[in-house]
Amino acid sequence: MSLVEIRDVTKRFGSLTVLDGVSLDIDEGEIIAIIGRSGSGKSTLLRCINGLEPVQGGTITVGGVRVNDAKTDLKKLRQQVGIVFQSYNLFPHLSVARNITLAPTVVKNIAPAEARRIALDVLHRVGLEDKIDAYPQQLSGGQQQRVAIARSLAMQPKMMLFDEITSALDPELTGEVLKVIEDMARSGMTMALVTHEMAFARRIGTRVIFMHQGKIREQGPAAEILARPKTPELETFLNAVLH
Amino acid sequence: MIREFTLIDVFYLVAAIRWTLVLSVAAFAGGGAIGLVVAIMRVSAFAPLRWLAAAYVQLVQGTPLLCILFVFFFGLSIFGLPVQAWIAATLALSIYASAFLGEIWRGALQSIPKTQWEAGGALGLGFAEQLRYVIVPQAVRVSIPPTVGFLVQLVKNTSLAATIGFIELAREGQLTTASTFQPFTVYCTVAFLYFLLCFPLTQLSRALERKYNVVG
Repeated sequence: MSLVEIRDVTKRFGSLTVLDGVSLDIDEGEIIAIIGRSGSGKSTLLRCINGLEPVQGGTITVGGVRVNDAKTDLKKLRQQVGIVFQSYNLFPHLSVARNITLAPTVVKNIAPAEARRIALDVLHRVGLEDKIDAYPQQLSGGQQQRVAIARSLAMQPKMMLFDEITSALDPELTGEVLKVIEDMARSGMTMALVTHEMAFARRIGTRVIFMHQGKIREQGPAAEILARPKTPELETFLNAVLH
Repeated sequence: MIREFTLIDVFYLVAAIRWTLVLSVAAFAGGGAIGLVVAIMRVSAFAPLRWLAAAYVQLVQGTPLLCILFVFFFGLSIFGLPVQAWIAATLALSIYASAFLGEIWRGALQSIPKTQWEAGGALGLGFAEQLRYVIVPQAVRVSIPPTVGFLVQLVKNTSLAATIGFIELAREGQLTTASTFQPFTVYCTVAFLYFLLCFPLTQLSRALERKYNVVG
């Protein structure tokens, strides 16, 4: 059984169909890079996986638990699946330490001292131990995004979702964030990332998903898909982003 | 017997300020408690709660405070409940304040970006935890200037309690007028005393607004 099983999922915003019968399995340890134009539904697909967006049809299960079911404890599910957003969404009124320790102490009832140890550990993984007592507005965009990643990791999720996490960053800052993700990839974390960084998708992705108009139009091993697109849509897309 | 308006009358008026203040504080406490519930109901995910709170706010804001005051003071006694002036005044002013504070605080809660709720939710925080640790601490900053601004309205409106015989500053003014027959002097003094109460609050509200706008 796959870690994530998405079956025939349909998502509509009013009369606009954003996901049109999408099915996808993600196995443990896989690194899925989701690519496609703006509005192709890739971010929405990611957000459906941890229940941030309700769906109108189909089923999504994570670790055997149905996401889109009123009886499912979304709080529990979200401890399994971390998500990092394009706009970081750190809590501006809290220090870096508190941003990270809030959920472990409140949701998991971990003692403050232990939570701080976890915070130091995850900050070490993103290379920002020295910023533990800083506030978000004192950090650069790249540093804020790395703290956001650390904050997610502190909940020890089974899987991480990354929603265009370098899109809001200056080019010279994207490298430090991508490096953090590469380190995580090497540690065996299951990941799904929506990205516009094709070279990065090719380098770390075990599989690439190309979405077009709410459907998965093409998928396969990263190197193969990106080198030899089968559909004209993917070819057009790749030409547009690579040149 | 008509007598002169003298310094001793001014002292009586100044002494009556304490009841204006007590009534203001009580109404702010009561109104704040109900207002907080109203504000949270207004942002809850459960639609009927939002409607109920919205209807309450509309009803109270669409009714003169004087009427609410009379309903409590005269209305309840019809049902055999003897209501003392101070109880009726506190209840009516609390309800009045709760609707306005509820709206001010709803606005403050809604001014926090939806992404902050999402970030909290994605980490496994529930609705109450998101409010307590993420949303409210940020909303408080936004809400302080208008809350202090509303306090000015509340202090001034405690004067309506004079109509049901609660002896605060305005009522003391009426009594002084009755015995000195110098309404102009007396009410000018009363007005000036209200101004002395409200002016610092207005300035404080402005200062807080500037302070929080600068920091962002």
